[in-house]
Amino acid sequence: MEQQYAIEMRDITKTFGSVVANNKVNLQVRQGEILALLGENGCGKTTLMNMLSGIYKPDSGSIFVDGEEVSINSPEDSKRLGIGMVHQHFKLVDVFSAADNIWMGKEQSGFVLNNKRYSDIEDIAHKFGFDIDPRKKVYNMAVSEKQTLEIIKVLYYGAKTIILDEPTAVLTVQEIEKLFNVLRRMKEEGHSIIIITHKLNEVLEISDRVAILRKGEYITTVNTAETNEQELTEWMVGRKIDLNIDRPVVEKTRPLLEVRDLTIKNDEGAIAIDNVNFYIRGGEILGVAGIAGCGQKELCEAIVGLRPIVSGQMIHKGDNIVGLPPKTILEKGISMSFIPEDRLGMGLAPSMSITDNMLLKCYRDSFGPFVDRKAGREAAQQVIENLEVVTPSTETPVRRLSGGNVQKVLLGREIKAGPNVIITAYPVRGLDINSSYAIYNILNEQKLGGVGILFVGEDLDVMMALCDKILVLCHGKVMGVVHAHKTSKEELGLMMTGALDLNGKYEDKPVGIARDTLFGENNGEEE
Amino acid sequence: MGFHFVKRDNCPLWKRCLFYLIAVVAALGIGALVLLSIGVDPFEYYYQMFTMGTVNNRIAYKTFMNYFKELVPLVLTSVALSLAFKMRFWNIGGEGQFIVGAISAAFVAFKLGPVMPMWLTLVVMCLAAMIVAGLYGLLAGFLKVRFGTNETLMTLMLNYIALYILFFIGETKADWNFFLSENSARPVFKSFTDLASFTSIPMGEKFELNICVVLTVVIGALIFVYLRHTKQGYEISVVGDSMGTAKYAGMKVNWIILRTVFLSAALIGLAAAFKVGTAGVLSTSITNDVGWTGIIVAWLAQLNTVMIFVVSMLICVLQHGSTVAAATFGQVDSSFANMLQGIILFLVLAADFFIRFRIVIVKKGGSNNG
Repeated sequence: MEQQYAIEMRDITKTFGSVVANNKVNLQVRQGEILALLGENGCGKTTLMNMLSGIYKPDSGSIFVDGEEVSINSPEDSKRLGIGMVHQHFKLVDVFSAADNIWMGKEQSGFVLNNKRYSDIEDIAHKFGFDIDPRKKVYNMAVSEKQTLEIIKVLYYGAKTIILDEPTAVLTVQEIEKLFNVLRRMKEEGHSIIIITHKLNEVLEISDRVAILRKGEYITTVNTAETNEQELTEWMVGRKIDLNIDRPVVEKTRPLLEVRDLTIKNDEGAIAIDNVNFYIRGGEILGVAGIAGCGQKELCEAIVGLRPIVSGQMIHKGDNIVGLPPKTILEKGISMSFIPEDRLGMGLAPSMSITDNMLLKCYRDSFGPFVDRKAGREAAQQVIENLEVVTPSTETPVRRLSGGNVQKVLLGREIKAGPNVIITAYPVRGLDINSSYAIYNILNEQKLGGVGILFVGEDLDVMMALCDKILVLCHGKVMGVVHAHKTSKEELGLMMTGALDLNGKYEDKPVGIARDTLFGENNGEEE
Repeated sequence: MGFHFVKRDNCPLWKRCLFYLIAVVAALGIGALVLLSIGVDPFEYYYQMFTMGTVNNRIAYKTFMNYFKELVPLVLTSVALSLAFKMRFWNIGGEGQFIVGAISAAFVAFKLGPVMPMWLTLVVMCLAAMIVAGLYGLLAGFLKVRFGTNETLMTLMLNYIALYILFFIGETKADWNFFLSENSARPVFKSFTDLASFTSIPMGEKFELNICVVLTVVIGALIFVYLRHTKQGYEISVVGDSMGTAKYAGMKVNWIILRTVFLSAALIGLAAAFKVGTAGVLSTSITNDVGWTGIIVAWLAQLNTVMIFVVSMLICVLQHGSTVAAATFGQVDSSFANMLQGIILFLVLAADFFIRFRIVIVKKGGSNNG
């Protein structure tokens, strides 16, 4: 007899306009297995999963749950069929407690809120080994807690099949380990799990089988035990690719940017960056590691003058830049490109053309009251050619480009301005392997050209390969600066959670202060 | 059987025009049903409306001159609003800004008209109206920038303040109130046609083109260039698209907001000065609802300056035509035009939806689930 799958998708096709997101995709999930769904960005993984969770409807093709054909028209249908999805962006009500967030989506919950809801949630948390306080409000939760809550939520609604969309992107090494333990426990209970991730090492660690998509097409499904990273990458990208990131050695210059005792507040008025010291030399990449939201954004904004600082000093080539307007800092050659979670929020005007976006920082330079679109068009053309941006024309609104191309446009513009310090935060956020490597190469080229780079990242493997040194932040405090080739993921993970503090380890040299500082040279009266 | 919506990538221009055309025709069709239900021949009515009764009419030139009188304030107000809308500043205060502009212009006409040559009076009227209306708009802009208030609510409420000030002036018979006529026992606005009135350029035998029409076309062209090609226009687009990005690019966002809001409101004030300078008298309905209609026009034209001229002309045909048609068809009030306008807006927005999405019929629904 044919084996019955928990979920089977046959010949699923879904188009958005002329874009084919999924073309005749097949997917089978067995009962009690962990299936990893692998593929580059924009290859249709999330689209495919959204059709299971009732957010989209397939144009054609059929879905079977436990061997029976079903049509999923809404998230309610999906819930009834025992499919639960944990989205990349959490769908929680901030001012509600954990239990209330779960309670509000429950069918036939009645009109009365009673205290049983707390014990209910606690029971289910115990069963799977979660650690959660049902009375805690969501806005007080760390990212990992929110994710736990999302998982408990789908379990509580009776999901047999659980879909996790890039669950590890926001977690530290230790938290990922914890999550994987929970997933294994769920598997033992007979749940089927589909996990979407970019990270091959995680795929190999957690999954039983791997399904691979490429550009909307279904490629194959393999047993995890019978494959390796190289093979998976080739399937994903469609050709052989070198998985090593270069770290060229460059003659370092004296510090370009030095930061001393910097303290910054966030939008809510809490301390976001607490007494931070660091410096960047020309020809080096300084990585900044830390759990999401521990002051990275505030730090980037403060350096380029977008956020007032509470106290401390920032010196660029010996000149004080504290309190200068963003425009002046820009002219000094400090460029910042921050890719926020929505990828478009800062640095680009999404409805405007590539040409117009090229002009963003230099439109004032042309003579007279008019904008020089011709120069903008030429710049756009150059960036499109140099960085291989895929776009119909220079006049296409940036919003219409895919994620990788948007990021290339942003980085391309920043590099074109010829900066001497590049602050870049999450430049490969959400990018596939190909585009990511293109970005790493761009950064390395800049480094070879003597530019100092501050690289705020999330993937520790990448940071250890690309950066020269890594500064670790935990709740706005520096836990230490380590050499990338000497450290380990475990050490970084411990520092990120605050369990390891390297401050004061080397007594002769305080963390983050250069010996050959330019500090105080031009403003000697301070020191 | 079922259907769902699929996003379109790019809709060719002819298709877009076709959808809009269908929307307008459908709106006229609905209007025709209403006309039929009250026993009016829709073809006859629409004929009267769209020709504005000018066919075989010996005084048709007068109709056209009146038509332009209505058109000028509407075009100018719509252009002004599009400036603010482009920056995603929802200036709903066109009415109020128009009224304070009109009062200021009338004030200048009464006070300075007797002592200054007429051309100077007119220039000062325009300047005064622009400055006062600009400041009135700036109030909402300042509150938004400084305290983060909602500009939609602020400008909306400022409308009513301006309106009731106008009512107060129009209904208070007192010695100080030079706006009212001394010769009437009832409160009636005094005319100042002899003190300040925009000249017209004679064209042909009888038709005269008011100078305001020429000025409006010039201003329209300037704003078109301003938005498309100047640095300030570029800044407006960036601020409207993403405020975070504008700050990041080192733009002084607050200053840009204030500048643009002032310009937008000042242009509405200018529209009011044109209106007052042509009519030669204030009235409690001086705005002719251009502050509201202008919003509709700006949206229908999708903030495109050239399209604003086209749409305004059409809307004015509706409004003016319905007044003319009301003379023949006593049972159809001229506010029929407002109804038609509403239906057109509604259906054009619906057409927009079909430009962005298309409907796909799903043949097989699959078996039902529990």
